[in-house]
Amino acid sequence: MQLKHRFVLPLALVLSAVMLYPVAFSAWISLHDYRLTRLNDVRWVGLDNYTFIATDPGFLNAMGNTITFVIGAVTLELILGLGLAILLQRLVRFQNFIRSTLLAPMFITPIAVGLMFRFLLNSELGVISHYLGEIGISIDWFGPQLALFSIILIDVWQWTPFMVLMFLAGLESLPKAPFEAARIDGASAWLTFRSVTLPMLRPVITVAIIIRALDAFKVFEYVFAITRGGPGDATETIMYYIYQAGFRFFRMGEAAAAAFLLIVVILVLVIALVKATKSNTEAPNDV
Amino acid sequence: MKKFNSLPAVTTFLSATFLSTALVSAADLNIIIEEVPDYEIIKKLTEEYEAANPDVTVTFDAMPFDAMRDKILTSSLAPSATYDVIIIDNPWMEEFAKAGYLAPLDDYIASSDGYDFDDFVGAVSSIGVVDGKTYGVPYYNYALGLIVRQDIFDKEGLEIPTTIEDYMETVKSLTTDDMFGAAMQPQKGYKIMEEWKNWLYANGGDVFDTDGNIIINNEAAVKALNQYIETYKSAAPANSLNWGFDEALRAVSSGTAATMLSYNWMLPALNAEGGMSGDLAGNFTLHEVPGGKAVLGTWSWGVPANAEDKDAAWDFVSWISSPEVAKRRAIMGGAPVRTSVLNDETVWKDGYGEAYYKALSGILEDAAPLTSGTNAEELIEIIGTELSAAVSEQKSPQEALDDAAAAVKRANR
Repeated sequence: MQLKHRFVLPLALVLSAVMLYPVAFSAWISLHDYRLTRLNDVRWVGLDNYTFIATDPGFLNAMGNTITFVIGAVTLELILGLGLAILLQRLVRFQNFIRSTLLAPMFITPIAVGLMFRFLLNSELGVISHYLGEIGISIDWFGPQLALFSIILIDVWQWTPFMVLMFLAGLESLPKAPFEAARIDGASAWLTFRSVTLPMLRPVITVAIIIRALDAFKVFEYVFAITRGGPGDATETIMYYIYQAGFRFFRMGEAAAAAFLLIVVILVLVIALVKATKSNTEAPNDV
Repeated sequence: MKKFNSLPAVTTFLSATFLSTALVSAADLNIIIEEVPDYEIIKKLTEEYEAANPDVTVTFDAMPFDAMRDKILTSSLAPSATYDVIIIDNPWMEEFAKAGYLAPLDDYIASSDGYDFDDFVGAVSSIGVVDGKTYGVPYYNYALGLIVRQDIFDKEGLEIPTTIEDYMETVKSLTTDDMFGAAMQPQKGYKIMEEWKNWLYANGGDVFDTDGNIIINNEAAVKALNQYIETYKSAAPANSLNWGFDEALRAVSSGTAATMLSYNWMLPALNAEGGMSGDLAGNFTLHEVPGGKAVLGTWSWGVPANAEDKDAAWDFVSWISSPEVAKRRAIMGGAPVRTSVLNDETVWKDGYGEAYYKALSGILEDAAPLTSGTNAEELIEIIGTELSAAVSEQKSPQEALDDAAAAVKRANR
């Protein structure tokens, strides 16, 4: 074995142990009727688990809810994050104080955030509901119509600061010259933002969206702490579905199949997003 | 509210120690247990067991309910058990027993003089018996009962409802701008299933018939669901579709709601002076569930099949669940599971009063678990999801129950 290969060997071994083996084992499980309470009766079922999951109304509903959650949460976080970052960049005084205050929600563990909002928004016991009630507003935050939206808002509350952080770093690293040129040419603030800021910030936006979207696909804690997927299955997300199948019902074969289907969906979405961003970036050069 | 009487305590402690087969040899017992009021009592009593068996160390791994199932599973799958003694919720019993996780206890029970297994309430002890073998002995019950604000009932001149129709009418009449007749727990899954099943029993329904056929979508079930929805709309707090046990309890203890169907052992906590109910303490009473038949929940003590020292594990289990210790546990506030304890006048006097134990006896006399089978946990979740969909008007009651029946079939494939 060549020396250069020997240097890589430890890393390759560690990666194989912590990544390749679990993934390969999960793939093997997904092709078997593998239940933790029936380990003496593990049977090969081929693609049955995949067929079952792909036609299970619960899985399809959970996937739909998750995609709605990801699109809703990431879009709101993107808009709010970008807006706040631009405002913060222009702020002359208290910038550091406000910046650190804004970041606070990110440091709270999501399960605690879930529990916190469960009580804050509780119709009888919650502070928010109480004060809204004082002005005659009654909102069923966790009713079937609003529950998923409420979960999205909680995610927005917690993770918009991440977007702010990313965009602020991006904005501060942009060159000054294009902005000066736009100002000299008499461009309005909106035109400058649309034609100068946004195109230059696009790579940062893409990365921020991908990171947040990947994270949002994993939403579990808020659902677990607040709604348990209800009312009905209005807030059941894919991670909650997999948790239920694997760790409550011990149907590991089905849980693994659901996880692999999720990976496929995420891969398709990420590739589509990167392609769309690339084509938008390349378009001006083609003109 | 209750005082621990030292003389009987010493007497029963000595007799219980005698009943223990012998001083067990050195052992470290790890016990997984749920963080509920009964645990604090068990912990206190265990100090006496350790004093009588100086070579035995008992360590409790107390945790919330949600963390228990997978911990027990991983311990059971390991070559050597993490836990020497476990507690088992009733939906898990058949699943764990048939998976081979639990050691049969019949021989131990037979060889334990004075243990008196038949003294356990039949409905409770039968949960630990799977295919004719005993895998669990009762720890505490969490059968549901009707908890009411007696002061309000007295003021309004209301009788305690004995049928589900009476209950619906009563809670509706109690609902005003400031007060709700019932604090319900229609949260998806276990909670709504646990509450609605009382309505189902009242209408003569069940999940399966005696031949094992699914009858969750028959006429009785649809009627029960319609009644449940009507009660929610007419007497429960608005926007409480997501409420579970915690929220319902807070509503009752804070004086916002007049009744709740909940665990019988909540009564002592609600009536505790200086406790969660503040000035309302002492006003709560327990009664049988309207309709008569109640949902029964039970935690049982079990010894894992892969436990290293099963003898030591059983010695502790047989001691803590022995008639004498069970009596003291009840006096200290534990939820009783033995007939002798429920009928003991000392327990009535030093515990929570005759009325409470008589009501509890009545509840346990006609009570049955949510469902059974090796995938009971999954079936409860499936049905509970569909019930929630019906209460939140995403589906009609018939549609939701048809979907529940189809999903149960699918899960049992």
